Amino acid sequence: MRTENPVLIIGGGPAGLRAAVDLSEMGIEVILVEKRNELGGAPVRWKYKTLAPMMRPTEEVMNPLIEHVEKSELVKVYKNSIVEEAKGNAGNFVIRIKNGLDNRVESLNVSAIIVATGFEHFDARIDPRYGYGKNPNVIGIHELEAMLKSGRVVKHDGQPPERIAFIFCVGSRDRATNPWCCTVCCGVSIKQAIELKEILPDSQIYMIYMDVRTFGLWEKLYWKSMEEYGINYIRGRVSEIYYTGEKLLVKGEDTLVRGPFEVLFDMVVLAVGMEPGQGTKQVAKALDLAINEFGFLEPKHPNIHHDSSKEGIFLAGACVAPMSVEEAIAEGSAAAMQVVKLLHRLAKPIEAR
Amino acid sequence: MSDMNTVKISDKEELEIKTEQAKLFERSMFAAKSHLSYGTVEEYLKMLRKMRELEKQGEIEVFHVTDEFEPVTVKTLSGREKKIPTIELWQHKSCGQCGHIPGYVTALYWIMSNLGIPYVDDTNQTSCTAWNYYGSGTSNPVALTAVFLRNMHVAWEKNAYPLIHCGTSYGDYKEVRFLLVMNRDIREKVRAILKKIDRDVVVPEELVHYSEWLHVMRDKIAERRKYDVSGVTVAVHAACHTYKLMPEDYTYSEDILDGIRPAPTTSVALALGAKVADYRNWYDCCGFGFRHILTEREISRSFAYFRKVQPIVKETKADVIITHDTGCVTTLDKSQVVPLAHGYKETIPVLSDSQFAALAMGAHPFIVCQLHWHIADWRNLLNKMGIDWERYKQDYKRYIEEIKKGLRKPDFIKPPSRRLPPRKNS
Amino acid sequence: MSKKSKKKGAFIIEREYIDDQRIIEPEHLKLEEVDMSGRWGVLVLPRTIEEFNHSLYEEIKNHPRGRNIHKCWQCGNCTAACPVAEENPLFNPRYFIHIVKMGYKLELEKFKDYIYLCGSCGRCSEVCPKGVDPSGVMEAIGTVLRRYKL
Repeated sequence: MRTENPVLIIGGGPAGLRAAVDLSEMGIEVILVEKRNELGGAPVRWKYKTLAPMMRPTEEVMNPLIEHVEKSELVKVYKNSIVEEAKGNAGNFVIRIKNGLDNRVESLNVSAIIVATGFEHFDARIDPRYGYGKNPNVIGIHELEAMLKSGRVVKHDGQPPERIAFIFCVGSRDRATNPWCCTVCCGVSIKQAIELKEILPDSQIYMIYMDVRTFGLWEKLYWKSMEEYGINYIRGRVSEIYYTGEKLLVKGEDTLVRGPFEVLFDMVVLAVGMEPGQGTKQVAKALDLAINEFGFLEPKHPNIHHDSSKEGIFLAGACVAPMSVEEAIAEGSAAAMQVVKLLHRLAKPIEAR
Repeated sequence: MSDMNTVKISDKEELEIKTEQAKLFERSMFAAKSHLSYGTVEEYLKMLRKMRELEKQGEIEVFHVTDEFEPVTVKTLSGREKKIPTIELWQHKSCGQCGHIPGYVTALYWIMSNLGIPYVDDTNQTSCTAWNYYGSGTSNPVALTAVFLRNMHVAWEKNAYPLIHCGTSYGDYKEVRFLLVMNRDIREKVRAILKKIDRDVVVPEELVHYSEWLHVMRDKIAERRKYDVSGVTVAVHAACHTYKLMPEDYTYSEDILDGIRPAPTTSVALALGAKVADYRNWYDCCGFGFRHILTEREISRSFAYFRKVQPIVKETKADVIITHDTGCVTTLDKSQVVPLAHGYKETIPVLSDSQFAALAMGAHPFIVCQLHWHIADWRNLLNKMGIDWERYKQDYKRYIEEIKKGLRKPDFIKPPSRRLPPRKNS
Repeated sequence: MSKKSKKKGAFIIEREYIDDQRIIEPEHLKLEEVDMSGRWGVLVLPRTIEEFNHSLYEEIKNHPRGRNIHKCWQCGNCTAACPVAEENPLFNPRYFIHIVKMGYKLELEKFKDYIYLCGSCGRCSEVCPKGVDPSGVMEAIGTVLRRYKL
C-alpha cells in the first residue's frame, strides 16, 4: 500500500521508533522528528543499563529498533528538530519542521501524525526536603542507572557507598508536586537495588516505600530482592534529608512500628517520578491537542490511548500517561495500526473512482 | 542537568523556561515550600488584598508603614515584599523576656540607642495572652483579636510602629489578623469590645518581629562592631512561632542558607563575621512548645537537651546557640542543668541575637546583656570574642555595691523623648 | 510494664505514652548543693530510632526454624490467623518479625517476654503467603533472645 504523503512521527523513543518500524515494514513512508541529537528516547539518553522485569540489557530492545529506522529507506529522520506547526486534516496535514541547530524550516505534507514525545524525570530540586542538587550523594534513579551501566557506583569522594537508601514516590503522589503514580519507579528501584547488590555485595540497601507497586510480572523483582538479595523494606515516607558534612541523615517514620527514625546513609537514591516534558507541552501547543489536568496529552476516550482529540493524530507512549518501556513499545505498534486503518479508509474512495 | 541535548525552540515562552531554569527552580521551591505549610500563599495574599478593600470601604483603619518610618524592603517566603520600619518603633515587649532573660530586651534597647534610633518604650502595653491560647487552649479568637487590636491602637495613637519582641505574640498576631480580616463576625464583635475602651479597629499593614528589624539593620550593626567574632561558630535556632505560624510572612533571602531557612538571626551572625553551623535538628522546637513547659517539664527539658543541645554540641562544635524568642532562650539555657547533674558533658551558652550583637558592639556583658542570668557557661564564648569578662565582672560588682550603699542609682537605657506629636484619636 | 515500673515518673501527666525504659528518675542527684533527687531530676530519653541493627536477625536466619524470616513482607496474615493474638494485643508475630529484623532495641526489650506466648499451633505457617513459617520464627527468636539473656 503506497500513499502520496508520508506519516509523521514526533519523538524517537521506544513508542515512536516502534511505530516507525511497523509502518516502514508495511511499506509506508515515515518522517521521524526527534528533538535531541540521537534516537532512543529516555532509555538511551539516561543510559538505562537493563530493563525491568527480566533485566535484559537495554540494547537488546532498543538497538534493533534504532538500527532498523536508521537503515530503512522509507524512514527519513530529522534529528535536533521539532514540529512547529501542523495545519490541515486527516490525510493531508501541512507541517513545518524546524531544525534547532541552524534554525532551518522545512514544510512538508503528511497524511497522519503519531505523537510519541515521552516524559521527563521529575526534577527533584523542586521538592526541597530531599536537598537534591545541594547534598552530595543524593541522586536520582536515572543517574544511578548510568552509574550501574558503567559498573562503578561511588560517592562523590570516589569511595563505594556502604549503606544506601532508595526513597520511593519522589515527585509522585504528593499534592505539592505531582499527584499521580509514575507506575514504574517501584520496579525500577528494586531492579537497581538488585544490580547494586551484585556490584557491591557487602552494601546494605533499604527501600523506603509507601506501597510497593510492582504490577503483573514485575512482582517477581520484589520477591527476588527480598528473598535472594536481602534488601530491606521500610514502610514510610521521608520528611527530610540532612547532610551532616559526611553522611546523609534520613528522617522518616517506620509506620509498621510507629517509630520515627533518623538514620545515617552513605547514599540516597530518589525514585523520581515521570512528568510530561517540555516536548509534550510544545507539541500540544503546535498541534492544538487537548491536555488533561496533569499536563499529559488527553486521548479522545480515557481507556483508549491511541486516539487523540483530533482525527488523523494518534498518541503513543508516556506522553499520554506514565508507563514502562514495554507498554510504550506496544502503544507504538497500536498507533501504527490506527494509521494504517486511517490510510486504508482514505484510500478506498479513490480506488472506487 | 537536562539541558545538554535539548534544542532551542522558536516559541519564546518555552525557551525562557529552559534558559532560566535556575530562576524557575527558585520560584517553584518557594511555592512548593509554602504549599507544604499550613496555609497557602494565595490565601495569604487574598487576605492582604481584602485588608485594603476594607480600608477603602472605611470599615477598618490600616496602619501603614509610611516613609516616616524609613522602611527597608525584604522578601518573605511567599515571595511578597514586606516593608520593615526602621525608626520610630513602638516596643511590644514579651512577658517571658523580661522575667527570664532581661538582657534580651535591654540589649535591643542598647543597640537602638547606640544607632540613634528613636523608639517608644510604652508602659501602656498588655500581654498578647497567646501563651494561654497556645499553652492550654483557653481564650478564644475574639478575645485574642481584641487584645491584639488594643495594643496596635495604643501604638497607632503614639504614632510609633509596633515592633514585636516575642515570637508567640508575633505568630499570634499574624493569625488573628488573618481571622479579623477574613471574618466579619469577629470584626463586629471586636468593634463592640473596643468601643467600651474608647478604641477602634486599626490593623497594621505589616506585622514585624524584632529579628526582622535586626536583619535589615545588620550592616549598620556590623559597622559598629567592636570585637572580632570571626573565631566564633554560631548555631541558630529559629523560633517556631515566628516562622511556622503563617510561614508565608516571615523573611527569607536567597543569599542566606539558600533561601530554604529563615534569614534573620543567621544573617546578623554572618554580618558580624561569625561562622554559622548547620545542624540536623534545625527544624525541631526548642522543647518549650506543645504545652510541655507548663505541664510536662520533664519532657520539655529532655527534648531541649537531647534533641537540640546535645546534637548541636556534638556535631557542630558551635560556641553559642543564638535564637530570637523568649521561650527558646529560656528553655535551651535552663534545660541544661539537670542533664549536667546527671553527668552529661555537652553544654553550650544560649543568647538572643540582640545580646550577641550588643556584645560584639561592646555592650556591658552584665549591666546591659545581663549574662549572669544565664545558666550555661558563657565564659569560653566571651574569651573567644576577646571580651575581658573578668574586668567587667569586677566593674559590675563595684556597680552593685555602689547601688547598695546608695552612692549611685541603677543605669537605665532611656528612650529619647518623643519627636513626633501623638496622633489624635479619630 | 510491671506494676513496680509503672511508679517511675508517675507524676508525668502524659505518662501513658512514655515507655518505662526511657525514664531516668534519680534517687539521689545533686549539683552544687542543689538537691535534684526524684522528680526534679527526671530525664526522658528520646525514642527516635537511630540505627538499624541486623545482628539478631542474622542469627535467627541461621536457626533451622528461622531460616525463612527474610521472606516476610509484613502482610500480617500470621497475626490475623493467630489465636493468641486474638486474646492478647501484645502478642503480634508480624510485629516481632519486623522489630527483630530491624533491631529496634527499645521495642525488643518491651516485648521480649511476650514472644514465648506462642502456642506453636502452626496456623500462621499454614496461611503465610510467602512461606516464612512464623511459628518456627517465633521459636527461633525465643532461642536467640535466651542466648543473649534478653
